[in-house]
Amino acid sequence: MEVEQVLAGDTEAFEGIVGRWQGPLVNMAWRYCRDRARAEEMAQEAFVRAWRGLAGWRRESSFSTWLFALAANVYRSELKRFPTVDVPLEEIAEPASAANQYEEMAEHRRHEVLRRAVLALPMRYREPVVLYYFHEMDVGAAARTMGLPEGTVKARLARARELLRKRFPHLNESGATRTNAVLRRGGEALR
Amino acid sequence: MKPTKHHETNSGMQRTEATIGAMDRILAAEEEIVPSSGFATAVMERVCEEAAAPVPIPFPWKRVAPGLVLVAGVFGWGARVAVRFAWPALHELAQNPPHIPVAAALSLEEAGWVVLALAVSLGSWMLSMRLVRRSGMM
Repeated sequence: MEVEQVLAGDTEAFEGIVGRWQGPLVNMAWRYCRDRARAEEMAQEAFVRAWRGLAGWRRESSFSTWLFALAANVYRSELKRFPTVDVPLEEIAEPASAANQYEEMAEHRRHEVLRRAVLALPMRYREPVVLYYFHEMDVGAAARTMGLPEGTVKARLARARELLRKRFPHLNESGATRTNAVLRRGGEALR
Repeated sequence: MKPTKHHETNSGMQRTEATIGAMDRILAAEEEIVPSSGFATAVMERVCEEAAAPVPIPFPWKRVAPGLVLVAGVFGWGARVAVRFAWPALHELAQNPPHIPVAAALSLEEAGWVVLALAVSLGSWMLSMRLVRRSGMM
């Protein structure tokens, strides 16, 4: 295995680890900051720390669990030093509905606004959301990466969703439904 | 038929669930980004730099040890001298307690209140900081 080779002093063997895990680590960083260049910088730092701390991996957990936990620590401290957004959640508005021809574009924008709104959550709520969806909605994996009990992660996740739901109450409606609702309300007001 | 409160609560819950479902769909369907072509090379360059860097110089314990022993000796000697002189003084104080005038005793009582007020202020400040941290505002 590459880890043994690296521990035996073969630095080049670490390239295999980088090749295997670069995608997940960069994508995880991307979800933390939604800035491509910064995501790569943070992932690079995580790999360097992994290289330095490889001897400290005690094999009690899988390599991926150890690597993700280490990366989460790096990303958390990087974002503490230089936060990504300074817009409070209250100031992020739900995008208004658009005309039908722009529906797809509006839909895309709505999704992007929601994803960015995740970054406006306080860190204790943001991280469970980021890691829960990164781990394909697996609370256990998110909890292991954060080094927290599953119950704590579930509670924080519920609170985060509640905050987002209050901010985006019309998420479940499609663009057309929302346009029709607005027109209906307008019609009623004219009557 | 007029909608009952029960129906309204049910529809509210359904709406909440639908919103959370939509949120799950959007956040789970994140597009994957591909690391740039030079990413792995850049990582390996940094790793090789780290590997080539000279091993950090270990702390010179052998050189520092005599100094530490000397400092410990000085402090030990100081403590011994302090005890030697303070012990008879304390003994004498216990046998002949000093007479504290009323005015001085009163000012001591006031000082006690000041200390108590400071302790209460410190306690409430620490509690509020803890609550703020727990709420996630910091």
